[in-house]
Amino acid sequence: MQRRNFLSSFGGLALAQMLGQEREGLHHKPRAKRIIQIFLSGAASQCDTFDYKPRLIEKAGQPWDPGEKVELFQSNPGVVMPSPWAWKQYGQSGKWVSDLFPAMAQCVDDMAFVHSLQSKSNIHGPATFMQNTGFILPGFPSAGSWVSYALGTLNENLPKFVVLPDRRGVPPNGPGNWSAGFLPAAHQATTVRVGTPHPIYDLDAPTDAKYITKSSERDGLALLDQVNRSHLQTHAGDSRLEARIASYQMAAKLQLSAPDVLGIAGESPATRKLYGLDDPITAEMAERCLVARRLVERGVRFVQIWSGADNGFPRRNWDSHENLAKDHGEMGTAMDKPVAGLLRDLKSRGLLEDTIVQWTTEFGRMPCSQGSLGRDHNPAGFTTWLAGGGFQGGVSYGATDEWSYKAIEKPVYCYDIHATMLHLLGIDHQRLTYRNNGIDRRLTDVHGTLISELIA
Amino acid sequence: MGNASNVAAALFTVAIAAAQPVSYQREVAPLLASRCSACHQPGNAAAGFVATTPLSVARVANSGLLLATVTGEKPRMPKAGQPLTPAEVAVLTGWVAQGAQDDSGGKQELWWSLRPLPKLEPATLDSFIQKKLRAANLTASPAADPRTLVRRVYIDLHGLPPTPEQTAAFLADPRPDAYEHLVDQLLASPRYGERWARHWLDIVHYGDSHGYDKDKPRPNAWPYRDAVIRALNDDMPYARFVRAQVAGDVLYPDDPHAFALTGFLAAGPWDFVGHQELREGTTDKNLTRLLDRDDMVATTMSTFVSMTAHCARCHNHKFDPIPQTDYYNLQAVFAGIDRADRPYDEDPAISRQRRQLLAEKLAVQRRLQPLLDRVEFARNPALVTLDDRIQDAGSLLAHLGTPKTPADVEEKKRLEARRSADRAQRQTIVDSIVGPETYPAIEKGKQELAAIDAQLAALPTPKLVYSGAAYFPRAGNFRPSLTPRPVNVLDRGSLASPGPLARPGALHCLPALSAEFPATEEEGDRRAALANWLADPNNVLTWRSIANRVWQYHFGAGLVDSPSDFGKMGNQPSHPELLDWLTVWFRDEAKGSLKQLHRLLVTSATYRQSSAHRPAAALQDGDNRLLWRMNRTRLDAESVRDSTLLAAGKLDLTVGGPSVRQFGFKDDHSPIYDYAAFDPDAPGGQRRSIYRFLVRSAPDPFMERLDCPDPSVLTPKRTTTLTAIQALAMWNNRFMVRMAEHLADRAKGDPHQLSQWVLGRPLRPDERAYAVQHGLANLARVLLNTNEFLFVD
Repeated sequence: MQRRNFLSSFGGLALAQMLGQEREGLHHKPRAKRIIQIFLSGAASQCDTFDYKPRLIEKAGQPWDPGEKVELFQSNPGVVMPSPWAWKQYGQSGKWVSDLFPAMAQCVDDMAFVHSLQSKSNIHGPATFMQNTGFILPGFPSAGSWVSYALGTLNENLPKFVVLPDRRGVPPNGPGNWSAGFLPAAHQATTVRVGTPHPIYDLDAPTDAKYITKSSERDGLALLDQVNRSHLQTHAGDSRLEARIASYQMAAKLQLSAPDVLGIAGESPATRKLYGLDDPITAEMAERCLVARRLVERGVRFVQIWSGADNGFPRRNWDSHENLAKDHGEMGTAMDKPVAGLLRDLKSRGLLEDTIVQWTTEFGRMPCSQGSLGRDHNPAGFTTWLAGGGFQGGVSYGATDEWSYKAIEKPVYCYDIHATMLHLLGIDHQRLTYRNNGIDRRLTDVHGTLISELIA
Repeated sequence: MGNASNVAAALFTVAIAAAQPVSYQREVAPLLASRCSACHQPGNAAAGFVATTPLSVARVANSGLLLATVTGEKPRMPKAGQPLTPAEVAVLTGWVAQGAQDDSGGKQELWWSLRPLPKLEPATLDSFIQKKLRAANLTASPAADPRTLVRRVYIDLHGLPPTPEQTAAFLADPRPDAYEHLVDQLLASPRYGERWARHWLDIVHYGDSHGYDKDKPRPNAWPYRDAVIRALNDDMPYARFVRAQVAGDVLYPDDPHAFALTGFLAAGPWDFVGHQELREGTTDKNLTRLLDRDDMVATTMSTFVSMTAHCARCHNHKFDPIPQTDYYNLQAVFAGIDRADRPYDEDPAISRQRRQLLAEKLAVQRRLQPLLDRVEFARNPALVTLDDRIQDAGSLLAHLGTPKTPADVEEKKRLEARRSADRAQRQTIVDSIVGPETYPAIEKGKQELAAIDAQLAALPTPKLVYSGAAYFPRAGNFRPSLTPRPVNVLDRGSLASPGPLARPGALHCLPALSAEFPATEEEGDRRAALANWLADPNNVLTWRSIANRVWQYHFGAGLVDSPSDFGKMGNQPSHPELLDWLTVWFRDEAKGSLKQLHRLLVTSATYRQSSAHRPAAALQDGDNRLLWRMNRTRLDAESVRDSTLLAAGKLDLTVGGPSVRQFGFKDDHSPIYDYAAFDPDAPGGQRRSIYRFLVRSAPDPFMERLDCPDPSVLTPKRTTTLTAIQALAMWNNRFMVRMAEHLADRAKGDPHQLSQWVLGRPLRPDERAYAVQHGLANLARVLLNTNEFLFVD
């Protein structure tokens, strides 16, 4: 095969496939095969969820003085604001969790918490890019695209990277958050709008095109194959022409398998209840969590579930500048049971063994009040948790100060989290590169240290 | 290094020492440049060693230090990256063993792209290709048949295939130079500029929205797109094309097309929230501006000189001779501008008047601004409290939205009343801080501005282009700099570690050009200096860069296959003599005429070869780097769409104007761009693809699946993929399905005609049978999905 043709036609092919190392990790034996990432758009508060600080309760309502000038996104620091939710300890690990997440709290022994995450921007757009791509600029590939590029497919009939946006809309930066950037288009995410009549763009012909029938479709694809094969005979030696013929066969398989994977009608009542499908408050998130399980079960490498849309009014994501109790309350209640259900379901099916679940956001929120009831952005310290796929349950790594303001113990960036996740997928983050505009780019830029304390 | 490699190195050494002398210039210098010069370079010589200076190299070679540091179990050098390979060590060992002689004649060997250009020798393009083929024992392919050639050149120059009539006309043209006539005709058509401007917009990452959060439309970006199309159609000399994009407003202020070309400066993404919402003086605000200028530097240097200067933001360039100071000097060139709409006029007389008035206005604003700042940034503890309360009321009101309950109505009233009272009180306190003399002075300035504004308003309404601007109406916290902002050299690229002030300048790595610009506080003069540096006949990078880009788009691969990186991490030219000859020919003989360059390339025998596969040649040169045949290419996304419209008889050839929004649009906090909601038959739906409104955050999924690049990425070369999801787009997308219907209507029951329109060939029997059974629309859908349609031989 000609190398130029090889590269241009299979520019879409994953690195692993080109190197003939499919499935056994790219650089070493993997612990995990897939990832489900739950992204809380708008910045979920750490000090109202998993980062327990009794000092906030002690000093409630008093002027907040962290001992240095604090520069906030919108406001000047207000008074110390305790969480509107009470805290309890859970599990063998005795992890403190707020009453916002009573169901997730039952799973703490499966979760590895990182409390010392920081962001390089306190603006939603750049910070959301950073958590997704490692850069605070647009135009870089998302983690899902990198994983697709690195590992390729486990199931040729399904896409490698699937994004499930919130039904209320897309997050800040829009689909730019799951861009393939400069990676070949084959590593673009497939957006699936769960619960809508046409969940996948262009999966089927528009229903109003009446000239298309089942038989015209079948005979048409057969004719296309015939015409392309005749053409191939007079155009020998070009693998791209063959690859394109094959792409229509794969497309047909995708058409067949998609309705099956997205259809949840066959799920048992117990499973539906476990996710909260029976409750209108949790149903939307529940359906997407359930579809995520069905996707990874069938071999999709990376599923990203968004909780929340953009930062507009009325509030439809976690950006609770004005009234945290109300807005975090609604967002949290809608996701608590579905996410806990997902973890339990994965575990009971043995999938959690080699599936990483990450719960994350673009930055945290301040321990002081903004106005009377809200919290401003806090890029200096926030929380993410990881479960399954080789992560050690019940661990808490790093810490913020007494206020839950600044990461002071083992501070990390998303580079370190990404490096660790890639490691468990069998990838050395320093060796997963793609040359663009003069630089061998990485998901972890020029940073990233494996956090071995998180690994079981 | 292990024993085995030491043995290998030793063997190499013996071989080299015995066989041939090692050249400092040809072997040692490039090796040291690529592996050592990142840390050991002039002005920043770690341990006092400069890896690019023969004297310094000879010193460490003779002291034994050179070999000692790069060999051994764990070599101390290079600090970053892999140890030297045995072959590399052998080169150094051999050279030292032979006495470490400098054969460069005191001159450092320059990297290929930085070398001076030769004089123009009489030659033909084909002779360079032939020479290399002969040397490799290869032969060129026979000429492509005329049908293949006519489709190739139409798509290449217009992005559209020929109609059956156009093909027939060419085949019937009896003149021996019929092809040359066709090329001239194609280059004279407005379709040429539309096709080739699209390539340019890829390189400069043009888009019609800002990108980032709240990806707002950028309604006045398109005049830049139109100016590029026009410059190409008018065959604007390349030097002027370069100058106009960087500083057309300064160098050709009364030429509206040159002015519109400055849209280049603002072509990339822009962080709305960072610029407009963040408060002045915060770290994130400064970071936003730093990154905004970084985009300008990266775009300018990648586009025009194919150098990755942006790699020197955090440290000296690791591979190329670009110190960090060069990078920040380039930032200083752009330190006076932000991205904003700028007015310009068609009429030179009006343009001069407006320019004069705007200059006066800027002068007044410069006096007025410090007074306004005194008021805006007045601070005391009482004000801080009040500001918090006022802001709190604002956010609570926003959160409340339209009140639905009586309690909400009451709450809204209460908050509004509180805010009014607070604002009044705030004013009283501010007045006491700033002192009584401030307001009359402000008033006087405002009156002066109003007088100028009145004169401006009396001028005819100007055109607007989104460009680089030193002065524009303030929006929120987005305010003009008025004079260039100070730029510091940042240690490790961090705003927390500012070093010395940068001064406007360019790259020092081109010996024939001065990289120092005159010190000036007029930002336009800084850009003009850079524009002149870029367009200088002696800027060998600029001229090599464009010659290579044009070659790439015609042949499917550049002579240098890293078109925006001519540094050490880029590729070396496959035909260095040809590239240099072409470059000089373009600069001196064609005087920067792109149309002449196109003509030279597409009338060459090399271009006119068949693209057919030849197993024996492929075995030897599978990449076809030597061009023993023409490369077969897949249509790019725009050409797929435009060719489909053309075949369907629907292509709307309206030229220029505001970008066409081929999506449902709903403005909101973040606007919603809904492609599924767009009817391909709606007005504007059938315009050429270059006129599409390009949303950064939400690209058209159909185009994206055909490898249309993300408009936030600088794309000097597109990738081509063939995926299942792309097949689904071609087969099912509403646009394709609808155009198939239009094709059927157009064919009025004649499938033979339909086949001619899509593929330019007669209908096959199986196609005919299918049409009989399923109708013409279904036939059209199949033909539009064939490899014949998608690939260009």
